[in-house]
Amino acid sequence: MFVLSGYEYLLGFLLVCSLVPALALSASKLLRPSGRGPERRITYESGMEPIGGAWIQFNIRYYMFALIFVIFDVETVFLYPWAVAFHLLGLLAFVEALIFIAILVVALVYAWRKGALEWS
Amino acid sequence: MNLATGVQVVSFGILAVMMIGAALGVVLLSNIVYSAFLLGGVFVSIAGMYLLLNADFVAAAQVLIYVGAVNVLILFAIMLVNKRQDFIPLPRAWVRQVLTAVVSLGLFILLSTMVLATPWSFSTGPAAGDNSIVLIGQHFFSDFLLPFELASILLLIAMVGAIILARREFLPEQTLATELEQPVLTLPERPRQLVSVASDRNSSLDKVERQK
Repeated sequence: MFVLSGYEYLLGFLLVCSLVPALALSASKLLRPSGRGPERRITYESGMEPIGGAWIQFNIRYYMFALIFVIFDVETVFLYPWAVAFHLLGLLAFVEALIFIAILVVALVYAWRKGALEWS
Repeated sequence: MNLATGVQVVSFGILAVMMIGAALGVVLLSNIVYSAFLLGGVFVSIAGMYLLLNADFVAAAQVLIYVGAVNVLILFAIMLVNKRQDFIPLPRAWVRQVLTAVVSLGLFILLSTMVLATPWSFSTGPAAGDNSIVLIGQHFFSDFLLPFELASILLLIAMVGAIILARREFLPEQTLATELEQPVLTLPERPRQLVSVASDRNSSLDKVERQK
């Protein structure tokens, strides 16, 4: 008995995903010129020359966005069974899920009004 | 052994190797950013283990909460305070290492006895099967409706608290005053004796005048 019924596509996608980086790197190794200048070791930054090192301390303002993201990430866990079982649940469940989302929209409005979403 | 069982065994082997290798990397690597990313790898392989055990909702929650929330917060906390500095060797490091080894070995023995003592028989209850998420959704909107709605209020409280703590604008005045109070800075050198300097300059001036 195959325990993972319906996960054959996931396995296929995982195989393709693991093949893509290997194929891309080997193809570029075949195609690229074999120059050995010092520019070879520079980080590719969309064609621009990178300024400074990558090991820097990041701005503290990113942390606020991470906190807000985490709250709505946990919200997704609660909404996931509702989305899967949507065709079996009635109108009452739809209203209840709307109340659930409305309470979290209050949180979003609070964050907005407090300026947590602004970059300043 | 047919194809399905083979795929399952191979997937279990790959996931186990990934998990153990990433966990060893978390512990052994000295760069803490690499450790945090490998911790995400450990969480993802645990989610794959849950999928192999036919617990798809637990796997989704594992990816969403552990990889999406916990690991992101760990990475942010590391990258915000990331300063490349070498660790100073502690004076009595071997005491700490021996203590850590004893605690870890005790935990390992405890978990091993638990693994050996557990009967590991299949439960006789009704299996949820493929539609476990549908069952969870039906329970959410029938007999677990109040906890479901309370969870959103809990998330609202957590968000408001996080914003207040991160912005630090509702701190009481006294705390702010004590935080802002700077310690009196003193230089670790003796005050110059101005009299002797003055006398030296006078003596040097005297010398100049004598030479004239």
